[in-house]
Amino acid sequence: MNAKLRDLFVTNIMAIVLGFVASGIMILFLNKNPIDAYYVLLTSILRDQYTFADIFVKATPLMFTALAFAFTYKANLYNIGAQGQFYIGAVIAVAGSLFFENILPSWLTLFVVLILTVLGAGIWGSFIGFVKARYNANEFLVSLMSTYVALAIMNYLLRTVLIEGKGEYPQSDPLNSSVWLPKIISGTRLHIGFVLAVLTCIGIWILLYKTPLGYRIRAVGYNAEAARMSGINSKKIYILAFFISGALAGAAGFTEVNGVQHMLVQGFNADIGTAGIGIAILANGNPIGIIFAAILFGALKVGGTIMGQMSNIPTSIIELMQGFVMVFVILAYFLRTWLDNNREKRKLQKAVLK
Amino acid sequence: MINLLSMAIMMGTPLLFGAIAEVIAERTGVMVTAIEGIFIVGAWAGFVGGYLSGSLAIGFLFAIIAGVIVASLYGWICIYLKQHQVVTGVAINILVLGLSAFLYRVIFGVPTIPLTVNPLAVIPIPLLSSIPVIGEVLFNQNILTYIIYIIAPLSYFMLYKTSLGLTIRSAGENPEAVDVAGINVYKVRFLAVLFAGAMGGIAGAFYSIGFLGLFTTNIIGGRGWIAFAICFLGNWNPKGAIIGTLAFGFAEALAIYMQAKGGNSFFPNELFIAIPYIMTIVLTISRKSFNIPTKLGIPYKKEN
Amino acid sequence: METAFFELNKISKYFAKVIANKDVSFSIQSGEVLALLGENGAGKSTIMKILYGLYKLDEGKIFKEGKEIKIHSPKDAMGLGISMIQQHFSLVSSHTVTENMILGNVHGVIDKKLLREEIKKLTEFYGFNINPDAYIRDLAVGDQQKVEILKALYQKANLLIMDEPTAVLTPQESENLMKFVREFVAKGNSVIFITHKLKEVMSVADRIIVMRNGMVCGDLKKEETNELDLSKLMIGKDLILANRDLTQKMISKEVRLEIQNVTVQEEAEIPTLKDISLKLHKGEVLGVAGVSGNGQEELCEVISGAILPTSGKIFLDGEDITQKGIREKIDMGIGYVPADRSRDGMVMDMSIAENMILKSSFDKKWQKHGFIDKKILNQYTLKEIDEYSIKAPSPSVVIQDLSGGNQQKVILAREVDNGKKVIIFDQPTRGLDLGAVNHVHQVILNERVKGKSILLVSTELSEIFALSDRIAVLYKGEVQGVFHHDELTTEKIGLLMAGYQVGEES
Repeated sequence: MNAKLRDLFVTNIMAIVLGFVASGIMILFLNKNPIDAYYVLLTSILRDQYTFADIFVKATPLMFTALAFAFTYKANLYNIGAQGQFYIGAVIAVAGSLFFENILPSWLTLFVVLILTVLGAGIWGSFIGFVKARYNANEFLVSLMSTYVALAIMNYLLRTVLIEGKGEYPQSDPLNSSVWLPKIISGTRLHIGFVLAVLTCIGIWILLYKTPLGYRIRAVGYNAEAARMSGINSKKIYILAFFISGALAGAAGFTEVNGVQHMLVQGFNADIGTAGIGIAILANGNPIGIIFAAILFGALKVGGTIMGQMSNIPTSIIELMQGFVMVFVILAYFLRTWLDNNREKRKLQKAVLK
Repeated sequence: MINLLSMAIMMGTPLLFGAIAEVIAERTGVMVTAIEGIFIVGAWAGFVGGYLSGSLAIGFLFAIIAGVIVASLYGWICIYLKQHQVVTGVAINILVLGLSAFLYRVIFGVPTIPLTVNPLAVIPIPLLSSIPVIGEVLFNQNILTYIIYIIAPLSYFMLYKTSLGLTIRSAGENPEAVDVAGINVYKVRFLAVLFAGAMGGIAGAFYSIGFLGLFTTNIIGGRGWIAFAICFLGNWNPKGAIIGTLAFGFAEALAIYMQAKGGNSFFPNELFIAIPYIMTIVLTISRKSFNIPTKLGIPYKKEN
Repeated sequence: METAFFELNKISKYFAKVIANKDVSFSIQSGEVLALLGENGAGKSTIMKILYGLYKLDEGKIFKEGKEIKIHSPKDAMGLGISMIQQHFSLVSSHTVTENMILGNVHGVIDKKLLREEIKKLTEFYGFNINPDAYIRDLAVGDQQKVEILKALYQKANLLIMDEPTAVLTPQESENLMKFVREFVAKGNSVIFITHKLKEVMSVADRIIVMRNGMVCGDLKKEETNELDLSKLMIGKDLILANRDLTQKMISKEVRLEIQNVTVQEEAEIPTLKDISLKLHKGEVLGVAGVSGNGQEELCEVISGAILPTSGKIFLDGEDITQKGIREKIDMGIGYVPADRSRDGMVMDMSIAENMILKSSFDKKWQKHGFIDKKILNQYTLKEIDEYSIKAPSPSVVIQDLSGGNQQKVILAREVDNGKKVIIFDQPTRGLDLGAVNHVHQVILNERVKGKSILLVSTELSEIFALSDRIAVLYKGEVQGVFHHDELTTEKIGLLMAGYQVGEES
């Protein structure tokens, strides 16, 4: 067990390092020194409180979308529609905030909007689970396609009902500052949504590993047939898992709209769905691991952006680094199984010799 | 209307390349979830090759090579290292997206005006193209359209009438039977994925140098996934893939057509854009009997 | 001594968690039937898969007619004239007989007509009655095996390896297979026959290799040995059979479970169960015999609630439970040990403790404030580990890491607890070594004495005879008759299993 745990840390850190090395080689093509570039990256994210706090600002929605993928993944289902569920959540958050901000007290507005967002995105997500349970539809395809539909819905609403008062750009009016999520550290953008995200990660971990419901979700995920034969209604689990998954991704919409953007702009944060999947993979689907993996991705995002501004390296370096890290993490999965098998084999051969 | 149909066929061309690629690979039991990335790298390499050499043929050759390289990475991880296909696909798609944007910048810097090439020209087939309606729709297309409509029926023949096809189909149904028969399952699957890489590369290049004449990072925008979906909806059969492609090509042509017309007060533009995706969802749900390869997505493990 | 046709020299094979073979050496002569005898997990299949090129050997050499050869793949093996019939057939069930036979053997465009003729000739030559255009999924298991044999013959093999070929056959079909084997070797070919059944060994083999724990522990001529000696070699100790007092009558005449005219039929398909009526008393073991695939699984599932009957009724203690689902039936005290335990009975990636509550996760006794009470669960699991002598270091060990026998004990422990009234055992000893088999038999008999009602489905006739008070025979989803255990002989039950009617029902 200890050897296994050691392998997990060593191989994953190796994967991250190799990801940086490979990206560094790419930087060489720009006739730039990658070591300088990484130095800039590291110093820039530590240069002031505002920037450093921004890492956690960026990590917040990523935790939610990563949880969204990881949660269904535990039930052996693929929700790759977190991006769409996030958009649905964002639309509801902005619409709800604009509607209630002048009617209800601000704390109640935030509470009501959070509930509405989570419910709405959850229902949007549970549709995928429903068609999986009812019609045995391929959830991978349906969730994938649902993102594009959600995007179209958001674009349509932003062009029509939700368009700003001026009617100039396809974006919403800004929210009244009374319905902004409170800041944790003044002088930064870090808001209470980060705490919410961390607590959610812990909550999901407890749900999955400590409750009978989580137990059943995992049982269905590992072996749906055995679960069915044991009286567990896997269809119910499918719908529920997708509801929770959608709700999680929707929560990211809430924290982004009420915590960071304070309005809704067409096509914003277009990559947090896929980045979420990457984080979930990096964390091996573990909700606690997701906290750390999301912070790493957040740091890459903040550092990559500044690196682009300061040393003229294109921001696509962020995706490049994420992509390399993910590919190496997958290779690390393989390496771990291989190491483990070899260890067992050696143990056997030794036992024979004795 | 004729314009619309002609456009439907044209817009369906890359989708059919992708769908046939996916059908062949999935018949051996491997989902090519890196298809979106392969499309992107094809679009990128096609443009780079085409722009730098001035020859579209070289562009397409570049696209094939780039597609095969990405496919071989995917195939190596999923087939030989037996890692998860969905997860690996997602990782490779992100990597390829970053890589092509980054390398575009490396090669071309930040151009002040967008770089363009002249896209593939229409080649009217003598005599046939002058048939009213049909001629204009079917025989007034570019070379790739003609090629894929030769490849598609050939791939059907290959799958169902030749020993190679039997091997491919068996590999997705019961890889052990293939292994016991003295055929290397890994090789069959890997080569099928490489084939998918070549076809997907061409499909991607179709968008950059076959049609638009330029490259942007969002040029594919999920069309690789549409090809992936067509393979499912077409029941893992080239025949089904053709029908599916025509439907999607039409939907896409309609969206472009409506957008060009400046929209419609009753049906918003976004609806037309979303139609292919909604169509996929509806078809996925309504489709009753799937002929899904039994071992699709499951790595073949020989020794435990 | 003449040079051997094939010779294996000190072959070793290590898997991740087990030594599959260690220094295995033996040879086979032309015109010989060699039996490879051993318990499950003794390494018989592994060594043959090495010879056939499916597995790579870690150490050792292989010789053909005195010359060293390398076998890297089945293709190499086929080139040397070796063919192997896998225990779980390697046929593509959605393809036709012809397509399966030509896989890997023809090139280019397939000439269906020509091939069909060729295959027809082959089937006629060997007297196999198989339609070349039939789909494998539509064939009975016995016929599927014939296809496997034909495949080997089509490849013109002269060494045929058969891995447990009689496991799915009726006694009469097995007879025919033996006849074929004798004829085949009479032509100068060789056969290696993998089995764990002593009777078969004595009837068909010229020479016997006995394996235990991955090693060869006996190489004997048939004339020089007998069943008793072989069994001692195979197990490594004297076998103590589970004790059953045959005179001990059923404890009660009270009916516990009654199945009335139950039919199970998917729309537009042949019924899998046809008008079944059975009674199960308190304290009784009702054996269900039959060739696998004749409705046994459906019978178990219709009782456990996994499928609902199309028509008919099921009663438990007089209460109509026909329409009850799995969860309700678990709560009513029906336990079920499924045949395919890794598919239906447990979650491989979960711990022993977690597998213990697979069927009772809804039960409040495992919960504290809505959370799973790990302490109670672990205590319970430890108790069961002790009671069933499950070899496991702790309750949190992933069940995947246990041996097949210990996995089965975990399920047994759980189901004996779940099955307060009725326990269904479907092939409870399949794939277990004899020690574990004994343990399972003892558990069944103990529960019977406690007054539980037991339905025992098995394709091992010896098991049925040893444990059952009464025996029902299933054929094509129908009950061929219910008999007291002493009314039946192997021959008679064989005929019933093949669908012949025999009188004198009880």
